[in-house]
Amino acid sequence: MELVESFTIGFSVILGWKPLLIIVTGVIFGILAGAMPGLSPSTAVALLVPFSYTMSPALALILLTSIYIASNYGGSITAVLINTPGTPSAAVTAMDGYPLTQQGKAGKGLGTALVASTIGGAVGVLILILFAVPLARVALKFSPADYCALALFGLATVASMSRGNVIKSMVAILFGLLIKTIGTDPISGVSRFTFGNDMLYDGFTLIPALIGLFAISVVFSKFETWTGVGRVMDKIDNKLPSMQEFLKIKYTILRSSIIGTIIGIFPGAGATIAAFISYDMSKRASKEPEKFGHGSLEGVAAAESANSSSVGGALVPLLALGIPGSATDAVLLGAFMLHDLVPGPMLFQDNPEIVYGIFSALIVANIVMLFLGLYGNRLFIKVVSVPEAIMYPVILAIAIIGSFAVNGSMFDVAACIGFGVVGWFFKRYGFPVAPVVLGIVLGKMVEENFRRAVMMDGYGVFYRDKLAFIVLLIAFFSFVWPLYKAWRHHRQPATSGNDEAKI
Amino acid sequence: MKKGCIALLVALVFVVGSFSTATAKFPTKPIKLIVYTKPGGAIDVFARKFTGIAAKYTDATFVVVNKSGAGGIVAIKHILSEKADGYNFAAVTRSNVGKIVSTGNEINVEDLDWMALMVSDPEAIITSRLLPVNTWEQIVADAKEKDGNQIWVGPAAGGNDHIMAMKTWNAAGIKAKWIPYASGGKAMAALLGGHGVVYVGNPQDVIGRPDLKVAVISSPERLGGDFADVPTFKEVGIEGLDNEILWRGFMAKKGMPEEAKAFYHDLFDKVNNDAEWQEYVQRGGAVPLFDKEEKFLATVKKDQEEFGAALKQIGAIK
Repeated sequence: MELVESFTIGFSVILGWKPLLIIVTGVIFGILAGAMPGLSPSTAVALLVPFSYTMSPALALILLTSIYIASNYGGSITAVLINTPGTPSAAVTAMDGYPLTQQGKAGKGLGTALVASTIGGAVGVLILILFAVPLARVALKFSPADYCALALFGLATVASMSRGNVIKSMVAILFGLLIKTIGTDPISGVSRFTFGNDMLYDGFTLIPALIGLFAISVVFSKFETWTGVGRVMDKIDNKLPSMQEFLKIKYTILRSSIIGTIIGIFPGAGATIAAFISYDMSKRASKEPEKFGHGSLEGVAAAESANSSSVGGALVPLLALGIPGSATDAVLLGAFMLHDLVPGPMLFQDNPEIVYGIFSALIVANIVMLFLGLYGNRLFIKVVSVPEAIMYPVILAIAIIGSFAVNGSMFDVAACIGFGVVGWFFKRYGFPVAPVVLGIVLGKMVEENFRRAVMMDGYGVFYRDKLAFIVLLIAFFSFVWPLYKAWRHHRQPATSGNDEAKI
Repeated sequence: MKKGCIALLVALVFVVGSFSTATAKFPTKPIKLIVYTKPGGAIDVFARKFTGIAAKYTDATFVVVNKSGAGGIVAIKHILSEKADGYNFAAVTRSNVGKIVSTGNEINVEDLDWMALMVSDPEAIITSRLLPVNTWEQIVADAKEKDGNQIWVGPAAGGNDHIMAMKTWNAAGIKAKWIPYASGGKAMAALLGGHGVVYVGNPQDVIGRPDLKVAVISSPERLGGDFADVPTFKEVGIEGLDNEILWRGFMAKKGMPEEAKAFYHDLFDKVNNDAEWQEYVQRGGAVPLFDKEEKFLATVKKDQEEFGAALKQIGAIK
């Protein structure tokens, strides 16, 4: 069989102390960079591109892809433990992961995130290996109208994210969309709301905004109610989830992994949208949807398996066609070029050792990640038993360094603190912050593709393009249905359970 | 014997020492090469290739520093804020000039030392073999049939490639729509998916992507290698599009000391004649060259005017 033969080549590339050491190094660096707010997967990979210049092409790419896959998991650690998503997609993980920590069940949160990431990563890689070429072809057929519909579907998930107060979630998402209008108009190239400031031509960078909204806001809230004593968490439990608990969420993990891979394949979608959509889907499919947002293992699993599996998905267009599917792919494309390689169909023929070396390395990296994670969790968890007087200043310091690290710009630091103030107000008055991220991430995708679709084929395209039409219908109902249920719920106050909960 | 060895060593140190003080007062510390994208971007690869090859000819240490933002404005302003001592220089492309114009920035190109234009990358009209329309004649016929609804894709509105598209339409007397994408890669994906008919880019875009082909090239003569059978604009009967290029090169703040100037001049000359460098540039269908200060500045000024006129035409600037 051809595949077996190819993998013999692939594994022969990675078996040996040097490649294995490189994979382990990549995974460790990836986990730590992912956990560090400010170092998103694309930045983490970009940091080591210059370093990999002197390595052989195969080793360089093995290192970079190991970092890519591990950093998507790493983001969950800080999200679960201190409500500070290390990567944008982990913002979804924080919604259930942090409540688990607050309930003293940090071990369960971390364990679920790790296992879900590993399985998600493996599913993504498997789909990549088996179907890369045909899937990439299908993804290309998607028109701007379809992308617009997909992004609107992503925005519609806000309805199921809101715990009780839908209006407040809507305000949050609109704020995110509003923020995204700042910068250069993606279609006409005109500057919007930049006030002549160079730093605003590209709009606000996502990472500093994310750190501000999640991490700095928490610090401000803590300072407000400062007592000067106490630990972040009095009781912590590093017990992993039981086998039974895992079996209960096995379908959630599987479903989310497949959703994550598929969304990852579309150039421009990516890990964050994958996590939001699969969270929404899992909540709908769940037998206990009321637990979502209050420490549901399913919620953590859905987010983490989706964002890790999206890595395999995102590599599909890159390796099969040479088209970068995500920000990290774009960096990887540069790394290929540095070594005089061009990813795409020719690479499979000319350099099978590189393609199958990457595939084999991704499989091994997943396994390495599981073991390192299991060991690491016991260390990471100690973070929450640190006294508050140390913890919060450290978070503040890391947040500032992290936002500086993105571009090496003080403007980003100021933006991060500004968003921290916004986030603090949001929390104080019960507005959720996760929808802001959703708005920022999806705003551009909706706008660009809507305008492209209309420029190409006029407004009628959203009706004529059957796929776009169906996705729009699904988006509409998935938006309206939870609202309708909430409205009925309010009409019967006798059954009121846990709505209006504080964030 | 031992004494002889030491004496020899001492002599050697002196020779090396006097040699370095006599001929190379510059550089005495690492030189920063500013790149306006994040690591892994096309210009980042260009800069790192350059430093790799430069290492053959000089012991100077180059540190590539990525200062991304605002399409290069952040990097240019950084250069202008540093001392003109020769220890900071930047990789630039023609797109940066477009960005200066489109953002209405007060940057004066005369304040910069346009050290070397090193690569001239011809603009290319690229089509997909998967589509029925993929030669120049077919493009023109299809455009006339669709009467203004033919779709051309490419990166950012008002950029190099958009302006190339507008010039091509004018020269060929056809009408079409420009649909911009966030990056060249995404626009190529749209072409491969059949959402557009033409992508405007550079020859290197089709390398490794067998479904894409260059339909026409803006070059006075045919290119060699993989592109030998690609017709030029003149060959398909279009005049005035013989030398539309995307250049890449290096610049610094004006006023660096003479010895630094001499160092760079010598280095650019050597790299330009290096076989590995020429192979790297030519593989992408581009031409290696070394246009010096005045000539480079003249190119920049011409580009500035062209961007200004084109951006006014599409309404991006007043």
